[in-house]
Amino acid sequence: MDTYDWLLFLHVTGAFLVLGGAVMAGIFNFAALQRERPSEIAVLFRLARVAVVAIGAGMGLTLVFGLWLVHNAGYGWGQTWIVLALVLWVLSNALGGIGGGREKRTRELAERLAAEGDTPSQELTARLRDPVWLALSWGSGIVVVAILALMIWKPGA
Amino acid sequence: MMLALVRPDSWNFPLFLHVLGAIVLTGATATTLVIAIRAPTWRRLLVRTIGFLVLPAWVLMRFAGQWIDSREDIPNDPAWLGVGFIVGDAGLLLLVITALIAWWGLRRPERRWPVRAVAVISGLYLIALFVAMWAMTTKPD
Repeated sequence: MDTYDWLLFLHVTGAFLVLGGAVMAGIFNFAALQRERPSEIAVLFRLARVAVVAIGAGMGLTLVFGLWLVHNAGYGWGQTWIVLALVLWVLSNALGGIGGGREKRTRELAERLAAEGDTPSQELTARLRDPVWLALSWGSGIVVVAILALMIWKPGA
Repeated sequence: MMLALVRPDSWNFPLFLHVLGAIVLTGATATTLVIAIRAPTWRRLLVRTIGFLVLPAWVLMRFAGQWIDSREDIPNDPAWLGVGFIVGDAGLLLLVITALIAWWGLRRPERRWPVRAVAVISGLYLIALFVAMWAMTTKPD
């Protein structure tokens, strides 16, 4: 195996962590939408933190080894697919970061309500179904899938 | 190396589906592992994750992989391709067994072993998927 193979392997490992983590977060978020008891919602949001760690590590790996790959394979830095991928990488991080902040506040509310009697709350339900939060979370995942498509089709290569 | 960089456009769509299927399969399998270890009483979510995501993702990964294989016509069946086929095909058996055990665990909530078995099998299959990903990516001789 040469340097290119190792770089590609580590880059793809990062992509699997990001997208695999997004799948996991999506499963737990979707399951939380079906629940009303704060204690159950809190459990699901705590489980989703595993996905957040995977996504964070994967984002770092994809960027570092992706840039290294561009240099190693001799791609031009101005090629359409590379520029678009970097822009979408930043966008995905921004959407995920803002969505993650809202998610943290929803988890803290669920934990507080669980400790105070664990009765269903309209405020918690409204936060879970907040269209802005849903758009940020699912939008971030869709952007990452678009990056995967760019990596395969390589427009402008 | 250049062979890896240059690929006919007609292979892109099946490759995209194959990789997408493999990623969803990996993420959903990791989710079953997390549920089995950290929330073992959530057995219905465990069964639904396997039934609605793990198994359909395996179908997408495997059939899209076969689609690419039919187009590429790779000579001499290299080892990396064999690893992919083994992890894919033997994986289905493991996943079906996992689904049956998880379903059994849902019907017998007083028993702990089904969830533990799901955790062990999911963990082993995740390792196998990682090895397959390494083989498919680096294509060692």
